[in-house]
Amino acid sequence: MSGASPQPGAAENGTPFGIDPRGPRFGAAITATLLLVVVLLGLTEPLGADLVSRALQPSAVLLTVLVGLFAWGAFAGIQKHPYGLLFRRLIAPRLAPPTEREHPAPPTFAQLVGLLVTATGLVLHLIGVPGALVVAAAAAFVAAFLNAVFAYCLGCQLYVLLVRLGIIRRSGAPA
Amino acid sequence: MSQIVTLGNTRQRFRIVGGMDALPALLVIGGLIAAATLLGLLVRARSTRVASGCGGDEHQLSVDGAEVTLVQLSSPVCSACTAMRRVAESLVAADPTVAHREIDVVDEPAVASRHSVYSTPTTLVLDREGHVRARLIGAVKPADVRAAVDAARLPVAVTA
Repeated sequence: MSGASPQPGAAENGTPFGIDPRGPRFGAAITATLLLVVVLLGLTEPLGADLVSRALQPSAVLLTVLVGLFAWGAFAGIQKHPYGLLFRRLIAPRLAPPTEREHPAPPTFAQLVGLLVTATGLVLHLIGVPGALVVAAAAAFVAAFLNAVFAYCLGCQLYVLLVRLGIIRRSGAPA
Repeated sequence: MSQIVTLGNTRQRFRIVGGMDALPALLVIGGLIAAATLLGLLVRARSTRVASGCGGDEHQLSVDGAEVTLVQLSSPVCSACTAMRRVAESLVAADPTVAHREIDVVDEPAVASRHSVYSTPTTLVLDREGHVRARLIGAVKPADVRAAVDAARLPVAVTA
């Protein structure tokens, strides 16, 4: 154990390099719970007869909110995600300072993967494909659950793999 | 006309997925949580392990004078790589016969592809001759690293 943890004035304006890895996990726990609610609603509700009723059924409304949150994380960056703010305001001050920090690029990319999965499910549902909403929400749930409970971020692994294969370029230090 | 018929059929088939009663729906939810937990346990068991007897030579990578060289293959953004580096460096600090070097798989993909390494960190344990004696996958516990290093000091068991 190296006792020193020099983290002067954690994250206020000038974010120190890397983020507390517990932040995205906290967010994933909320996301996983909400996705489970989407699955439950999707299973019990009948599929709406037309586009408007499909868009307004509770499962679709909640999934739309989640799609929006994923988009926020993917495009504004994981640090600016509302759950991240919630974590820094409410949770982090009650925890010991992080023993390690992680690069924000992989969890941000993971938000994009979450966005693609849930948005695809939502669009297919609106078109009227049966089961699309439940399947997409269930898939996204598994990923969020693995992240929250096992600290295994599927999207992050995918990011590292894609960087390795040269499909996406490594971002040195994104703002 | 035919479209209406199709739609009707679809909706009828869909009753299996939508419009479920609460109890079976909850059972599905329970099954989903159980499956995700099982997957998580599996991933955890697979993500850190020691594989021995992998074979291969990396003479050019073994550090001169070291009895055992740990060649850590890392990627730029990977927190487990940092953890593994810490473990390896503390081992090297305590034992001068062991050397540690790190290779970025993005900058130098050759070594990783020679050994079909797809997850980082993966650490190759090289003996004095540069034979790959074991590979450490993930951030392996210090005791397991030490055991793999000690095993690599022993002469190679004659392959049948």
